[in-house]
Parts: sequence; structure tokens; C-alpha cells
Amino acid sequence: MKEETAVLQVKGLTKHFPVAGHKVVHAVDDVSFSVSRGKTLGLVGESGCGKSSCARTIIRIYEPTAGKILLDGDDISLLNQKQLLPYRKKMQMIFQDPYASLNARMTVHDIVAEPLKAHKICSSRKEENEMVSDMLARVGLNRDHAGRYAHEFSGGQRQRVGIARALILKPELVICDEPISALDVSIQAQVVNMLRNFQEELGLTYLFIAHDLSMVRYVSDDVGVMYLGQLVEKCEADEIYRHPLHPYTAGLLSSIPVPNPRLAQEKEKSGLEGDLPSPIAPPSGCRFHTRCPYASSCCREEAPELKEASSGHFVACHRIHN
Amino acid sequence: MTEENKWERVSGSTEEAERIYRKSRSFLGDVWFRFRHKPTALLGFILVVILLVFCLAGPAFTPYSYSEQNNKLASIPPLLTVYPGPEEGSYLYITQGLKLIEVDEDGNLIRQLKKKKDDNTNKQTSFTWDDDTLVYLDYSRLPNTVLDADGNRIETGLKKWNNTYRLGTDQLGRDILTRLMYGTRISLMVAFIAALVNMVIGIAYGGISGYLGGRTDTIMMRIVDIISTIPLTLYVILIKMCLDDGLLSIIIALSSVYWVDMARVVRGEMLSLKNQEFVLAARTIGSSTKTILLNHLIPNAMGPILVTVTMLIPSAIFMEAFMSFIGIGIAPPMASLGTMCNDATETLRTNPYQLFLPALVICIIMFAFNFVGDGLRDALDPKLKK
Ligand SMILES: Nc1ncnc2c1ncn2[C@@H]1O[C@H](COP(=O)(O)OP(=O)(O)OP(=O)(O)O)[C@@H](O)[C@H]1O
Ligand SMILES: [Mg+2]
Repeated sequence: MKEETAVLQVKGLTKHFPVAGHKVVHAVDDVSFSVSRGKTLGLVGESGCGKSSCARTIIRIYEPTAGKILLDGDDISLLNQKQLLPYRKKMQMIFQDPYASLNARMTVHDIVAEPLKAHKICSSRKEENEMVSDMLARVGLNRDHAGRYAHEFSGGQRQRVGIARALILKPELVICDEPISALDVSIQAQVVNMLRNFQEELGLTYLFIAHDLSMVRYVSDDVGVMYLGQLVEKCEADEIYRHPLHPYTAGLLSSIPVPNPRLAQEKEKSGLEGDLPSPIAPPSGCRFHTRCPYASSCCREEAPELKEASSGHFVACHRIHN
Repeated sequence: MTEENKWERVSGSTEEAERIYRKSRSFLGDVWFRFRHKPTALLGFILVVILLVFCLAGPAFTPYSYSEQNNKLASIPPLLTVYPGPEEGSYLYITQGLKLIEVDEDGNLIRQLKKKKDDNTNKQTSFTWDDDTLVYLDYSRLPNTVLDADGNRIETGLKKWNNTYRLGTDQLGRDILTRLMYGTRISLMVAFIAALVNMVIGIAYGGISGYLGGRTDTIMMRIVDIISTIPLTLYVILIKMCLDDGLLSIIIALSSVYWVDMARVVRGEMLSLKNQEFVLAARTIGSSTKTILLNHLIPNAMGPILVTVTMLIPSAIFMEAFMSFIGIGIAPPMASLGTMCNDATETLRTNPYQLFLPALVICIIMFAFNFVGDGLRDALDPKLKK
């Protein structure tokens, strides 16, 4: 039943980047998950753990090294760019940097109308204008913003333009790659709420990438935690806050700032130490063992599998499964 | 607003708060604003306009053609040294061939006097002024001069600006001003054609190479390396052997070589632009490669492209002048700044102005385009926004 309603299914997705000197960056390694229709999967992890690479491989900007990507049950991992065209209408992406993701030489109208032109949706100029100004109104911009250039807008307004561009094709799946991390705190809430409203209204499915767990909890139904290219824990959003199983998740949770200073002091003890190891030569066995306070010899030698610990709660850690 | 309600909430929606009040300028408006506030850039721009008017409209205002020769009036300088003639208000100019030319008060050349008799022992030549007057030219010692009515040497001549040939004539008696106009025209024509061709080839080649990347890029760039190592002079000579037409072979040679720089610049830009998020966004949208190249990549690379073009123009001009100077360029009698310099070197000691004038024009052209290029580079850099 769950399989049928999944909009996006990712099976064993791997993305390696060849770099100078015949080395490879293990950006994404054997990641599997699925997102059901109308739901949101939050993907969290430290900077550099491969979240963006994962998103870009799913949306096929990058060629996957291995694995399957099923969109509505169709495998799109092996299609070429031309065959992908009809699927592009179904999945769209909202980017991290509202300054870099809009072409500075184009007006807002042209930016938002680009998907319409690419898929030849409008038969007339008038129809296009109507669709664009309708879409702009829905993201809270008005008609006379359309003729302006992107560089004249604030970060929040630019991100709205980005959202309008992603949603104008009425996609099923929207990948949000840290859509608010470049924004002012006061605008973050506005944008997140707008995304949630769109989800209800259009029945969108989100893959929501973020690096802090506090916000992910608010928007997601399920949460996946990534570490060095691998998924280490996956379960319902509330569950992960109540019972984090993987030591890495616990570490991430403790790094959320707490208003109460006494509580904060206690939390500090379990905070994450050390830096992310290089994805060019990831540690053997469990990739987290170099920073894990509970690491044993078994962790250094054998990679743990992502297994169900309690119902619906998957974790890859030897300490839990033994 | 009064003192009491200073802290009261003002009505107005967030929408209003977010509205932008900065006067908005289009991108090109911005560029022009910054360009015109840089004095050297503006000077360069004005010079280019003046040069264009000079070479396009100029020939309509001169009575001479670039090829019309007048051997009697060869190598007349712009500043004449004249001696008083037998009549009030008439003057005499001594040519390098020891002939006398009548010059009027305003510096117009009137006629060449007819030689009567050459007295080899006294080193004097007599010329007929009119039926009963003779004038004597004395070349017994330098400077050559004219004798006055009493037969004494007039030691000091007057300076007069040549009003017939404003910038003088060359050694074949052709008007230098007219030839400068045609020479500038050829220089600018070579420059603009070369610039245009290079822009088209360079952008297409560099754009494809940079955008596709990988192995294609490597192969395409090695070809560029090979082309750029062969000296340009060799191309011109080889092409000229097949074509016979100097101008055309220079244009072909310049066009087939100079695009290499442009291709390198464009490729570099593409490499840095193609991984920016707005290009990735266009790809996730499903825009075609053509749209991505034409709407996203090239417009954003336009700054460096324009700068490269304006920097390429002076070097193309110099190259044409150089080729013509060493004699493998424009065929005579057509004037080019390079051939004019070349012709002048033969009589450099006696007629330095013949070299100085075309060289000056080359300098002005180079300055003008370099200033414009410099100004464009600054103007197109949005970080310098004021
Ligand atoms: N095109 C690429 N070529 C080579 N290596 C890459 C490329 N893109 C990403 N990487 C590497 O892959 C790893 C994962 O990068 P990624 O951008 O996916 O991280 P991220 O989790 O999105 O980080 P952030 O939170 O900072 O956005 C990094 O080590 C990065 O250096
Ligand atoms: Mg990222």
C-alpha cells in the first residue's frame, strides 16, 4: 500500500564525483528512502554531508553513479535529458541561495515564465501573462514587480520568485534545498508557512533539506539523518526528537540552541566533537566511528546496516542492533 | 505626526513595507551611468566618434582623392617657409627639387614658376615671374633662398601654414589629409570586421567548449592552443599567396586567429557560470541547451566578452598597420596608415611629418579604444556600483 502512493522512491542511490588524481568524492553512498504523496521528508545533516548532491542527483542535474530513482513508479535514473522532459514537469527544485538562483539579466516575468516556455504550455502571450501574474500574486508579489530585474529585490522577495518559478508548472514533487537558510530569521517563518500552505492547497510532496533539526521538525512528517553520504537514521519527525537512537542524531539535537542556560550546560556534554572526515577517503566500518563516543572495535571494521529498531524507526548503528 | 502618538503603529501592510523605493535602472542604464562618469572612458568614446566622423564623412569635404598625384607639388610640408616675392602680398616657396612656387597671403599655393636659366657657376637659377620680371633662387649655400630686388640673399624666411594641402603632401604629391581619412577608414573597417567575426566564432566555440566540458572541452582547447602558436605573419603571407588581395587576406588572417583569445575568455566564463544555481535551475525546469546558452550563459558573460572585443580592436588595428608597413598588406595606391608610415621612412630625414602624421593617428586610435575598453570593464563590473 505504502509503495503505491509513494511519489518518490530512491533505492541505493550513489553519487561519486571523480576528482584530480584518480580519487573519488563519496558524496552520496547507497541512500534509500521514499516519500508518500502529500507528505514531507526532511533531510538533515551537517554541511558537506551530501544533502545537496543527493537532491541534485534525484532531480537529475547530476548523473547517478548507481541506484534507482522512481518518480510515480517510473525509473528515471537511466533516462537521457530528452526523455526526462515530461518528468521535469512533475518535479521541481527550490534552491538554497536566492541571489545565485535567479538570472540577474532577466526580469521577474521572464524568470517565472521560463518553465511555461520550456514546456510550451501557453498558446498565447496573454495566457502567459495571466498565469505569471496569478502565480506572483500567490507568492505575495504584485503585478508591477514582474517587469523588474531580480537584483532589485530583497532576499525574501527573490526566494518568492524562486518558489513561483518552481510551482508554476504545478509539480507533484518539490525538492527544497535549504530554501530558507540564506534568509533573515524574520522572513524564514513567512516563507516556510507559505510553502506549507501551498502543500495543502496543491497536495505537494516535499523533500525538504535543512541542516538544523528545529525547523525540520516543524515542516516534516518524516526525517532522515545523513552523515557523510549515508542515511544513518530515519523515522517520524516527532519520534526522532523524543527518542534519537543514533549518537550522531543525538549530537545534532544537542546543537539546537536552548533558551534555558542550565539545560544548555547539560546538553553541551553530548555535543558533537571533531570535524567531518573527508568524503574522499571515508572511515572504514561505521563512518561515524571517528567521532562516536561509544565506538567499539566492531564499529571500526564492519559497516552497520540501516535496520528497523522499533516500528517505523530505522537506524544504522551496531550499538542499537546488538 | 505629533509628539504623543510617535510610537503608535502606522497602518500599512507588509506588502507596502517591502515595496522598493530605490530608483531602478535597467542593466544597460547602469552600465552607461558608470561609463559616463569615468573621464578617460568618455574621452575615449568621444575620440572614437570623432574618428568615425573623420573617416566616413571626411572624404566628402576634401577636393582630393587618395590616389590623385601631383608631381609638381610633391613633399610640400604643412608649415611652409616662404620668402617675399616681387609683388606686395606674394610669397615664394622653394621646393626640395629647387623649384619656386608662388604662395599668397593666406598660404594658398598659386602656381609653379617657370625656370628660365640655370647659372651653374654662381649657383643661381632664374625663374620668370611675369613677362618682364625675373626672380632668382640662390643655392650657393644653405639654406637655399631667394634674392631680393637688389640681388642680396634674403636670409630669414617667414612661416606660413599650407592652406591648399592642410597636412601637406607625400612624395608623390598626394594630399596626406585625404589619405589619412582613407587609411583610418581601412583601419577601422579591419578592426570592426575582425572584432565581429572573432566575437561570433569565439563565443560559439568557447561557449560550446565550456558548456559541454569534459573531453570535448579538452580537445577543443588543444586545437585552440595549436592555432595560437602559429605566428600571425605566416598566416597573412600564406593567405595572401592564394588571394592576392591584401585587405581581404589581412581580414581573413585576423579573423582566423584572433578568435582564440575570445574563445578562451568565453570558455572560462562558461565554466564558472554553468554550475551556478540559476543555470542548474534552468536545467531542472527543462529548458533546452539553446535557451540556456542564449538566455542565461552568454548574457551573463557579456561583460568580459565586450571588454575582450574592445581590447582586441586596437591590436587588430596595429596588426593591419604592421602588416601594411612591412609590405604584405594593402596594395597601393590604396592608403593605409601602415603603408603611409612605410612610404615615409624613405624620406624620413627631410620630411619627418610624413611619418609623424599617420603614426599620430595610429596612436590616437589605440588610445581611444583602450580607454573605451578600460572604461567598459569597470562599468560592467557591478561591484563598483555607485
Ligand atoms: N561537483 C562536485 N564535484 C566534486 N565534489 C563535489 C561536487 N559537488 C559536491 N561535492 C562534494 O560532495 C560533498 C557533499 O557536498 P554537498 O554540496 O552535497 O553537501 P551539503 O550537505 O549540501 O552541504 P551544505 O549544507 O553546505 O549545502 C562535499 O564534500 C563536496 O565537496
Ligand atoms: Mg547544500
